[in-house]
Amino acid sequence: MEPKYVSLEMRDYIVSMGAETVNWCMQCGLCTNLCPWRLVPGETSEKFNIRHMQRLGQMGMEGFEDEHILFACTTCSMCQSNCPRGVKIVDNVRAMRASIVGAGMAPANLRPILGSAHANGNPWSGPREKRTAWQQGLEVPTFGPDTEYFLFVCCHSCYDPRSTKVAQSIVKLLKAAGISFGVIGNEESCCGESMRKLGDEELFQKLAQSNIELFNAKGVKKIITTSPHCLWTFTQEYPELGGRWEVIHYTQVLAQCVQDGRLKLSKDGSKKVAFHDPCYLGRHSGVFDAPRQLLENAVDGGTVELSRSRELSLCCAGGGGRIWAEVPMGERFGELRVTDAIDKGAKVLATACPYCMNMLIDACNSLGKQEQLEIAELSELLAANL
Amino acid sequence: MEKKIGVYLCTGCGIGDALDVAALAKVATGEHKVPVCRQHGFLCGEEGRKLIEDDLQQGVNTMVIAACSPRVMTDVFDFGADKVLERVNLREQVVWSHPAGDEDTQMMAEDYLRMGLTKAKEMEPPVPFQGENLSKRILVVGGGLTGLTAAKEAAGAGYDVVLVEKSDTLGGYVKNVHSVPPLGPPYEEPQSFDVEALVSAVTGSDKIKVYTGAQIQKIAGAPCMFDVTIQSNGSSVSERVGAVVLATGSVPYDAEKLAHLGYGSHADVVTADRLEAMLKEGRVVRPSNGQPAKSVAFVLCAGSRDPEHLPYCSAACCVESLKQAKVLKQQNPDMPVYIFYKDMRATGNYELFYKQVQKDGVVFVRGSVTAVEDDGSGALTVAAEDVLTRAPIVSESVDLVVLATGMVSTASLGKPYKAQQPKEGEEELEVPADTILVSNLLNLEYRQGPEVPALKYGFPDSHFICFPYESRRTGIYPAGTVRAPMDYARAMDDATGAALKAIQCVEMTSQGKAVHPRAGDLSYPEFFMQRCTQCKRCTEECPFGAINEDEKANPLPNPTRCRRCGVCMGACPERIISFKNYSVGMIGNVIKTIEVPEEDEEKPRIVVLACENDAYPALDMVGIRRAQYNPWVRVIPVRCLGSMNLVWIADALSKGIDGILLLGCKHGDDYQCHFVKGSELANIRMSKIKETLDRLVLESDRVRFEQVSITDYGRLPQILDDFAATLENVGPNPYKGF
Repeated sequence: MEPKYVSLEMRDYIVSMGAETVNWCMQCGLCTNLCPWRLVPGETSEKFNIRHMQRLGQMGMEGFEDEHILFACTTCSMCQSNCPRGVKIVDNVRAMRASIVGAGMAPANLRPILGSAHANGNPWSGPREKRTAWQQGLEVPTFGPDTEYFLFVCCHSCYDPRSTKVAQSIVKLLKAAGISFGVIGNEESCCGESMRKLGDEELFQKLAQSNIELFNAKGVKKIITTSPHCLWTFTQEYPELGGRWEVIHYTQVLAQCVQDGRLKLSKDGSKKVAFHDPCYLGRHSGVFDAPRQLLENAVDGGTVELSRSRELSLCCAGGGGRIWAEVPMGERFGELRVTDAIDKGAKVLATACPYCMNMLIDACNSLGKQEQLEIAELSELLAANL
Repeated sequence: MEKKIGVYLCTGCGIGDALDVAALAKVATGEHKVPVCRQHGFLCGEEGRKLIEDDLQQGVNTMVIAACSPRVMTDVFDFGADKVLERVNLREQVVWSHPAGDEDTQMMAEDYLRMGLTKAKEMEPPVPFQGENLSKRILVVGGGLTGLTAAKEAAGAGYDVVLVEKSDTLGGYVKNVHSVPPLGPPYEEPQSFDVEALVSAVTGSDKIKVYTGAQIQKIAGAPCMFDVTIQSNGSSVSERVGAVVLATGSVPYDAEKLAHLGYGSHADVVTADRLEAMLKEGRVVRPSNGQPAKSVAFVLCAGSRDPEHLPYCSAACCVESLKQAKVLKQQNPDMPVYIFYKDMRATGNYELFYKQVQKDGVVFVRGSVTAVEDDGSGALTVAAEDVLTRAPIVSESVDLVVLATGMVSTASLGKPYKAQQPKEGEEELEVPADTILVSNLLNLEYRQGPEVPALKYGFPDSHFICFPYESRRTGIYPAGTVRAPMDYARAMDDATGAALKAIQCVEMTSQGKAVHPRAGDLSYPEFFMQRCTQCKRCTEECPFGAINEDEKANPLPNPTRCRRCGVCMGACPERIISFKNYSVGMIGNVIKTIEVPEEDEEKPRIVVLACENDAYPALDMVGIRRAQYNPWVRVIPVRCLGSMNLVWIADALSKGIDGILLLGCKHGDDYQCHFVKGSELANIRMSKIKETLDRLVLESDRVRFEQVSITDYGRLPQILDDFAATLENVGPNPYKGF
């Protein structure tokens, strides 16, 4: 075999792009063993080894640029939350991607997405002026000086026809709870969480600056997000860029309202419901109980825990930009998740993230299990029981 | 001693329910005509003990207590060393492991009582050995970190110390180092080590006498009576000491043998020692041109863990290299530093140090180095098979390659000592000779050789599994890197431990007591010299070299060197070696007192000679777990299976005993024998048993040796029952009734 050459310059470059902890890795391999890619067959599973990828980063050695390697990680954080050395593996992945994407070498399939985010402020090729189209038929308050919460609706739920129902349900619930909230509208831009994970640091900075300026100009103090991804970047990445607000996920607000008695839900439906913890709500943000409390209050048929739940939840495969990846049937994590739910006797698999919903619906369809299992966003189940 | 025997039968813990105690008492009062025989339901209680004490007032001086295992209630049933006490194990090895109310269980209990009585009648209270002109001073050989620490600790505990150092100054290796790895939290930076403070503490102590530029010319004698001849600056001095701490340290592996790593062919390939010296001088340069080294690669396991060189791990080089890498990074955070390693063995808190050095950006490459080559510009590249990327890799060019050479114990530096060859015509001993390397450290006047016996790789032998601080020379305690590869922190702990062992030794010895592992034992072997045939078996076989020899080959025992295992007693063909409370004749009579039923009764008898350190407690545990085994066995505990004399086997077989099972410890490289060689020697003697069996026209299946450890209680019933089944196939011993 041809020898590979160590490059400390490349290593230092990757570190400067954000892989600050890559040197801490002692290559124990726990990450690779915990990686959901080990649970599925296929080319990506065979090629992608997170331990090995970090090793290449540590040595500044070539080989990680292969698309099957560099863009395989879903940033689910299963490895990171269990790393004995506290290595920020997700940051390292992001930095290694940035070292390639930043040099203008983004893979072809991602270019339209990044381009749309640049041009339209959303990755879904939706025109900026259509950002509020989901509000049709609903009276959605506009954020003003007297509004308590700014409701930030994920681009996915602004443009994806299925996902707009999530935004609509959340609005109905917030109204029912008597929360003072409002949206800003077309000036809002994508939070940029997934853009940054894809390695487009420049795009992220642009989106974030635009949002920070907008929100601050409007006098935003508190934000409710519909998606855990927006929640995470607002709480974890925006503060050092100047965006410092009190940010919570809609499930947290609603759970509090139910507890206070401000939101009354009638129990309905006789179907057993399982909850899928979104990685960015659970492992990344530590919110496990709020969605469960809401479910308990709205479901009559009982709830059931999946075998892999809470901190050990299995990723839907939609994070880290993977929502835009084409994955052959039989290699999708969501298929395992659907099977998990069916094995536990659930009739409904609920989640609290638009990406998860999207991925699980695809998986359910590809397995042809639509008759056996319904995929729902939690807000939809709750709104139906108002 | 005029004996008055008292027999005390405890009926508690289920003994009274399972046995016909009245019938048992008749064995004592009838067969053995014992004047005092009492029963009590709770013998280890206050009332029970008082019962015995009252009899002691009435002149009872020899007690047979038939109750629980001799391994328990030792404090309650301690009536002083001037009394004879024999314990009969009715609880664990009779009623807890055999059915209650059964005829065979009763026969077993009665036999055990007979055996106990026979032994008690022959035992005498031990009289402790008292030597003359005893010294409690401690000799420390070696004035490096370990030796200085041992001397300081021993003096701090109030003992006089004699410290002998070969070179002209104290301090040893650590005197020349730039820094040592972190010794305390947060374990992230190297620290300086104040060796001068340690040296002044030693030289300033009025309890420590220091000889520098000195070597040990000769050590004669035994613990508390060692006469040491020290050669110092051309003159000889004599000192009497009680115990010895051997702390002569190690030397780095010879880098000249590491040509495959570029040593010798590239001037810029240096040893870790050389780098340390450069760090100490404050200038790390390339030897080839004298220019400062701007980048460094370390190659770990240079000569260690390599079957061609040192097969073992040198234990300290990983952390030492981390330390040197960290010092380089402290001096210049941008300096490229590589560490090529096999496994990073930075255990315990050093893990934090390793992590810190990783954070500093040192590049760690796991794999074997395949080449150190000139890159054409005069700098060097290191190529390796990288395990972690499964690819060959090549480093960037570096100015300096540092080989972390391993440690070689100073005890290993010497040619093997040849034990005296048997004279022509003499029967050759098959006992494998110990490895004793003439390393010129202690120069012991011991018949078996001048240094402590070595295990693998020349390190001093000890009981590595259970008693790592020991050597096979009582009163001599190797510490630090002469004993095993270790780092500074561990060497200091080791030194303290060895000082404590030496103190224990002088204290016990001065009271006539044995040291580990029979700590406190007052008995010692006595030789009935009139019948000695000068066969040398005792002198050869003693695992501790306790017995010297005069010019006529007569054994000269040194009781304070002795560990009281009885290996000499087992070795002696003339049976002239005895303890006051343990002898060949005594155990022979115990065997003969077992009742052997007639052949037609179909009740075979099996004598089990069980090592009292492992096998016997394991048998107790069988009872504690209430597991059952056949009632034909009669267990006799022995000090060590090495104390087994072949005559016992002849005694047993000629009396009609059907089989003999020997339960000893694991032997071999990873032996578990408390006395190192006892179990192995028993095994060798077994190979000679055929002669005895042939003479008696008996089958070799009748004698079996099994290696058991203390944790083998789960396996023991099967071992005992399998042997019984084998004997059933062989058939009854034809000598029954003779």
